[in-house]
Amino acid sequence: MPDLVWEVFRQEAEGDPLVHGGSVRAPDEELAMHYAREFYGRRQESIRLWVVPREAIVELDDPDLLQPPFDRSFKRPSGYLIKHKLEAARQRAGAPAIVAGSAIPEPEDVG
Amino acid sequence: MTTYDDATRAAVAELLLTLADDEFILGFWDSEWTGIAPMLEEDVATSSIAQDEIGHAKAWYEMLAALTGDNPDRIAFGRPPEDYRHAALMNHPRTDWAFTVARRFLYETADSVRLEALSRSSDPEIGGLAVKMRREETYHLLHWSAWVRRLAEGGAGTHERLRAALERLWPEAESIFAPLDGEAVLVEKGILPESLSLLRDRWVERARAELEPLGLPTTTTPGPGSAGRLERTDDFRWLWGEFTMVTRSEAGATW
Repeated sequence: MPDLVWEVFRQEAEGDPLVHGGSVRAPDEELAMHYAREFYGRRQESIRLWVVPREAIVELDDPDLLQPPFDRSFKRPSGYLIKHKLEAARQRAGAPAIVAGSAIPEPEDVG
Repeated sequence: MTTYDDATRAAVAELLLTLADDEFILGFWDSEWTGIAPMLEEDVATSSIAQDEIGHAKAWYEMLAALTGDNPDRIAFGRPPEDYRHAALMNHPRTDWAFTVARRFLYETADSVRLEALSRSSDPEIGGLAVKMRREETYHLLHWSAWVRRLAEGGAGTHERLRAALERLWPEAESIFAPLDGEAVLVEKGILPESLSLLRDRWVERARAELEPLGLPTTTTPGPGSAGRLERTDDFRWLWGEFTMVTRSEAGATW
């Protein structure tokens, strides 16, 4: 029997994301399901499995697309500082200014 | 446990013992594949199914022990080989993969017919356990049917090997439905809702429906009949020596 590789994703509870559990070898879909059940579900640790032939997965690992050489920090939410805007808004509202050491955390990196 | 008169209790005990011994012995034989099944994935699946059967045997032995005031471990491990009541089908070693697939298929189809009937038992405990077991046995049947189809349609002589194994095992598989001494009482009280010979016919019909389209044999030559649960082979005595080794090494030891 020709062996194919099947990637198995499992869900632990309704609403949880399906996460990659691992892979199994099997000649076809039917046995792939049986083996996925044995490897990733026989201890009642999963409520749902997705069994996907490895060939069906579109892989993207091109560093030019995923890890470009330029600084991309401005694409992160932390690139936008709202500290001063927030302070001004508080003053307009008549709220006391937040001082260092205050129990209320300063929202520095909120974007 | 429901209270029964002596004759009924003896009949129920006999039934439970046959159910437990079938699962127990088959579970032990198939665990002999652990580490050497045809591929890693199948190794895990076969071992896991064998383990399920031992688990089912445990549940039946516990029910039997509660009924007769015995100890389930004593029943499972403390009897001489002659006192086991498994069907003749379970008297052989795992042999080759086709043999195991043939035996598992014949057993699973028979067990599903038997559990389906027992799930309608007038005894609520037997009925409840049968309902629970059927859910697990559904997967077993799917798995071994899948293997029957693959060997039937595979190359390299797999069809021939499977055919030979089925021909050899059919008559002994019939002994799963060999009449029990107390069967009349069981059927009369609805503990076993249908006679074993009726269940046997239903099993043959179901197994045929799967095997015939694959060109596999379904003819049955006369088997051991009612003696099918009394026959003991040297192979079984060897297995008995294996699975009782630990308990025999230290009498009365507790875990």
